[in-house]
Amino acid sequence: MKKQALMRGKWASLLMIAMLTLSACGGQASTQSSNQGAPEPASAQSAEAPPSETKKPSGKVVVYTAGPAGLADKILEGFQAKTGLTVEQFQGTTGKVLARLEAEKSNPVADIVVLASWPSGMSMKQEGWTQAYTEAVHADRLYDGWVDEDRHLFGYSASALGITYNTKLVDNPPSDWSDLTDAQWTGAVNIPDPSLSGSALDFVSGYLNQYGESGWSLFDALKQNGVTMAGANQEALDPVVTGAKSVVMAGVDYMAYSAKAKGEPVDIVYPASGTVINPRPAMILKDAPNLDNAKLFIDYLLSDEAQALVANAYLLPGRTDVPAKEDRTQVEEIKLLQYDWNWMSENGDDITTQFMNVFK
Amino acid sequence: MQVRSGRTRFSWGTSLAIGLLVPAIVIPLCLVILNSLMVDGQFDPLTALGVVLAPGVASVLSNTLLLGLLVVAGATAIAFPMAYLAAKTELGEKRWLDVVIIIPFMTPPYIGSMGWILFMQPRGFLEELAPWTAALTPQFFSLGGLVTIMSFHLYPFLYLMLRNSIQRIGQGYEEAGALHGAGFGYRLRRIVIPLLFGSYLMGALLVFVKTIAEFGTPATFGRKIGFYVLTTEIHRLTSSWPIDFGKATALASILLTASLTVWYLQSVMSRKFRYQTLGGKGLRTRPSRLRLLGKSLSWGYVGIVLLLSIGVPYFSIIVASLQKLRGNGLAWGNFTLDHYARLLSWGSPGFKALTNSIGLALLAATFAAVIGTFLALQIRGSATKGQKTTDLFSLLPNTVPGIVIAVGLVLFWNAKWMPIPLYNTYGMAVLTYVVFFLPYTVQYVKASFSQLDDKLFQAGRVYGGTDWYIFRRIALPLLLPGIVAGWMMTFTISARELVASLMLLPPSMHVSATYIFSQFEQGEVSMGMAMAVLTVSLTTIILVIMNQLESYRK
Repeated sequence: MKKQALMRGKWASLLMIAMLTLSACGGQASTQSSNQGAPEPASAQSAEAPPSETKKPSGKVVVYTAGPAGLADKILEGFQAKTGLTVEQFQGTTGKVLARLEAEKSNPVADIVVLASWPSGMSMKQEGWTQAYTEAVHADRLYDGWVDEDRHLFGYSASALGITYNTKLVDNPPSDWSDLTDAQWTGAVNIPDPSLSGSALDFVSGYLNQYGESGWSLFDALKQNGVTMAGANQEALDPVVTGAKSVVMAGVDYMAYSAKAKGEPVDIVYPASGTVINPRPAMILKDAPNLDNAKLFIDYLLSDEAQALVANAYLLPGRTDVPAKEDRTQVEEIKLLQYDWNWMSENGDDITTQFMNVFK
Repeated sequence: MQVRSGRTRFSWGTSLAIGLLVPAIVIPLCLVILNSLMVDGQFDPLTALGVVLAPGVASVLSNTLLLGLLVVAGATAIAFPMAYLAAKTELGEKRWLDVVIIIPFMTPPYIGSMGWILFMQPRGFLEELAPWTAALTPQFFSLGGLVTIMSFHLYPFLYLMLRNSIQRIGQGYEEAGALHGAGFGYRLRRIVIPLLFGSYLMGALLVFVKTIAEFGTPATFGRKIGFYVLTTEIHRLTSSWPIDFGKATALASILLTASLTVWYLQSVMSRKFRYQTLGGKGLRTRPSRLRLLGKSLSWGYVGIVLLLSIGVPYFSIIVASLQKLRGNGLAWGNFTLDHYARLLSWGSPGFKALTNSIGLALLAATFAAVIGTFLALQIRGSATKGQKTTDLFSLLPNTVPGIVIAVGLVLFWNAKWMPIPLYNTYGMAVLTYVVFFLPYTVQYVKASFSQLDDKLFQAGRVYGGTDWYIFRRIALPLLLPGIVAGWMMTFTISARELVASLMLLPPSMHVSATYIFSQFEQGEVSMGMAMAVLTVSLTTIILVIMNQLESYRK
């Protein structure tokens, strides 16, 4: 009986603790929600002062990014350290970022969106999601075609698509896309899912842009040869790293280079017939609640500091005057397919649907 | 809180309870159904029906139901012998077995199936351990493999139900049969199975509902083999571009209908197949002693089940969390604790996700404990209409697949006309978890409350105690164990909830479950696995403590 009473005392104290945490966290939650309201006046205030003035910016900026997670975090930290602003960041695949924007259409919260697919960015611009930022610093130093004429899309970084293979399993890597329809690759090849991975979609539509309707015969043949569609880029690459698959086609190159640098048994080739280099657009949304901070963010993306971060992540920096990391292939060494972004962005949806029909 | 409120119908308490539950649970669910009947903002059930009958949807629906049936069969095959051995033989005397058998259920399914994938894939761990299996492993990546994984995850439900009812049958009936010359097979067929049928059906339907509502395993393993079910399609349609909320809600309504039908069947069946096996004579349980052969066979069986349900997934999870280079497999020297160090370093994304999880789970569990206790006190004996309604509503989240509630919450809180700006905030995450796991507290507290004698309260009143005093000094202390049990259960489950977290967390926030999932998707599998090990150990330790305290009290 006594023991029971004692235990009950313990239970009571446990509950007390719970109650205390409740009240403590309740307090926290309420400060959080009052924070939510705070940026409004702050951003209105800074709207009067252009960012070039020395007046200190305040508040936050909300970024939805389909970036490689590590790079996105470093950019976030660098920007916060430099400006003192708070960045709220959502990371996902291009598909998830777009879905989140669509779902929040009635109550927009994001200021900046960074996608992994240039055509998806172009369709966002066409549908009126984005706004121009003509005074962006260093935008003139971007590669030709990595920024649009109206200055909505800023291709601050890019990836090229290649054929990544496991060096333990593959002695003679395939040299072109069509090699992968060969019997020796049956069941050994992954391709990222174009509905999740913007870059994979760009490869598919870029390829179809050059070869027209007859381009589909490649994908039919690949499906016949047991090519499997496997999530976004990382999910497609991981089985190749562990050796479950030999090759991932149309995967982004920077992931292969980072894995290789880490010591994993992978390497990458660029197909002889050409591939797609995929600038990753950063855009300011039309309804951006924190517009001035958003402009600062774009400036930061194009700054020397952020471009160096981009290069360090094995991506291709957007600026012509910043070289890519020395142990990877440079922009001018990669052979490209002949494609037109306008065509690709117009036909992206149809291509996704048809690709799904082939592969699902 | 009114302890006497049983007599007055629709007291303020009951009204408040229903007033809380309707916007929290009922309206979101109604919105799902309503939305599935709308086309472009117009109420148009016929066109909406067309969406449901579209060819793609039919195959997804039949996949879902087929998976449910197969997993029930698989779980039965695993659970029945286990339950029989535990109830009838000396194996049941091993208390640790009970704890160990619960582990598969405690393992978040997306982690478990990831473990299976790493183990079985070509050049995976199994092939490294036993190279001759290379010919077999590709066979695993099929519907059969999916059913295997899910059966080994869900069989504990069935096992617990069967074991308890086999124990309850008691030796008497079987001995009577044996006395009249019935052999083992005959006794099984004519006595044990008919008596068990009711509770088996309950368990089987539970497994069925759990299977069709399951998201984690189909999302990891099912997608790999191109097997799409309702939950994964709903998630894809709401979170991956191009999104289609109309179709998502249509699928959600189908899922809702399917699971409500099953629950209805279950309640009908359980009324039909109820036998009075608890007589006044008391139970004699005398576990039979096994001979050497029987003993080794039984232990061999238990060993294989445990090996497959726990050994395989955990082996892969732990090994993957320790691998330096994933390309080097099990090679000696390829192991490091680095991933744990990075996870636990202050301020790292993983660490933030972990603290977010714990913080949210603490808040959600505490709110759920307070609200759930209040609701349970209002429900009491479920005597009046108001109490019955409260009971029904508060248990809804347990009946309805999680993803359906999640869709409903999105529709409700992200609606244009919603004046409370809760969506995309921290508060939304807390609210979601509370709604999801309220039933646990309600059930635990209800169970404690049903044991209290009304005389206790009458005594309190005789001595002039006010309602509040009686509640504080008599009811609350006696209910505390139930409340705390509910609190801990909510804490453990919300610390690993995946589907609601994926759909409802504010943009910049990760919890351990979404962190793990996004590591599989975008980042480093090893980091995800290290996080999995940490989360599962943390929640298991809490459950073990709870178990210990419980047994102390007795």
